[in-house]
Amino acid sequence: MLVQLENVTKRFTQNNGDEMDVLKNISLEIAEGEFICVVGPSGCGKSTLLYLIAGLEKPTSGRVRVEGVPVAGPGTDRVMVFQEAALFPWLNVRQNVEFGLKIAGSTPEEKQRRVEKYLKMVHLGRFAGAHPHQLSGGMKQRVAIARALVMDPKILLMDEPFAALDAQTRRLLQDELVGIWKQTRKTILFVTHNVREATALGDKVLEMSARPGRIKKGYAIHLPKPRREADPHLIVIQQRILLSLQEEIAKVAKDEDMDYLIKEEASPLFDKPAVGGAL
Amino acid sequence: MKAVRWAKEHLLPWGLFLAGWEILSRLFPIPSSVRILGLVWANMTDPGFISALASSLGRMAVGFAAVILLGIGLGILLGRYRALDNIFGTLASALNAMPGAAWVPLAIFLFGLNQKAVIFTIVLGATGIVMLNTSFGIKDVPPLLVRAARTMGAEGPKLFWHVILPAATPRIIDGLRLAWAFGWRALMAGELLVGSVRGMGQLLSVVAKEGNIEQLLAYMGILALVGMTVDGIIFNRLIGDRLRARWGTA
Repeated sequence: MLVQLENVTKRFTQNNGDEMDVLKNISLEIAEGEFICVVGPSGCGKSTLLYLIAGLEKPTSGRVRVEGVPVAGPGTDRVMVFQEAALFPWLNVRQNVEFGLKIAGSTPEEKQRRVEKYLKMVHLGRFAGAHPHQLSGGMKQRVAIARALVMDPKILLMDEPFAALDAQTRRLLQDELVGIWKQTRKTILFVTHNVREATALGDKVLEMSARPGRIKKGYAIHLPKPRREADPHLIVIQQRILLSLQEEIAKVAKDEDMDYLIKEEASPLFDKPAVGGAL
Repeated sequence: MKAVRWAKEHLLPWGLFLAGWEILSRLFPIPSSVRILGLVWANMTDPGFISALASSLGRMAVGFAAVILLGIGLGILLGRYRALDNIFGTLASALNAMPGAAWVPLAIFLFGLNQKAVIFTIVLGATGIVMLNTSFGIKDVPPLLVRAARTMGAEGPKLFWHVILPAATPRIIDGLRLAWAFGWRALMAGELLVGSVRGMGQLLSVVAKEGNIEQLLAYMGILALVGMTVDGIIFNRLIGDRLRARWGTA
């Protein structure tokens, strides 16, 4: 197993002094080459899960291991892509993509070769000299993805990378990511709150429950990629996930005293599957 | 067209101002703007004046170099180490709140009536603002950038050098720009009060004592001109425009 989480609990102290388990007893295994999507209501700790694997946070209890070695801190074998591209504004596109290689002390030839390769992969060769503020949201995310891939990580950790993009751009980048995954066969752990996105991308979709964050269910999707959006199999899986998520969202709403918003008959769509029956 | 617009925006208001002033000077007993301009020109070509200006600027250069080193160095320490910031942060604010000229009597007491006292005044008058801006700049680096950099292998000195310092640079430059203005004021305060060192301050007090108001105004105009040139050309054009083009900030 490439990544193993064993009984991982992460507890944060809130501002009022109360302690809260953001993640509770999470056990998870990720095999090499897997594309796993994590969905869940906001506040379920999906991002924290990534941070733990990235080594940006330490678990309160339990163990996180990558190739059997306990994670002690961040490392270039686990590069992260964030919702905001987090590009360095003082560097141009090429220099941003080159960043990790510069830190690692790669030779100029090595840097040149790898930067070219990944800039081409994300179709930004022509924009190598541009500065981040000159790029659109989608282009920024592509730079962020190239900047991560250039490190040749064992696992790519993606924290809602397309959530801030408009619908068309998001679709485009999803397709591009599938293309990149086919080319590189990278292991990808992709967090999103968008069920359609999760089913479009993931070989496996993990659904998380809220407060404390647990892995509630896993859904395997054995459909080749790129997937057709209108594929009835996908729609059925999406509906099952959405239905299950509704419970979680209701739970969160109740916690936040917003249960008046959730009505029993709120979503007739979920009661009867649009496409007949089970898988 | 560009030249025409530039002339309209910059030369025209000055022309109108000076012309209006000149007309008033013909009607009332006030100095003439044309004669002052003539004096400014005469001064700029007078070796004696140039050497006085040069010695003032030399003092400023030495003082400002110390301000850059001390201000950024101490600012980095305050920005990086919370414990230091807790102890010395308010001290830096106090230093920054002190008018530069207030250091002159202490400077004279410590160093006597010489240029060391003037340089001391510049350093104490301008270091605080650089220190504060540097430390705030470092403390305000977006945590997201730091996280992104860390997952790409940047830690410790590399993280600082390649991410934190560049991210804080616009704030540090702002601090230096203000420090130039503060230092320039402190320089004059120091030279005027110390009195015995050759430089612009001495020239000002000499012509003021003689009652030569037109020459006094000419000197003051030159002081403003030099201050504006450094601020406008070095800080705004050479450094500021470059930063803005990269960062995309207005």
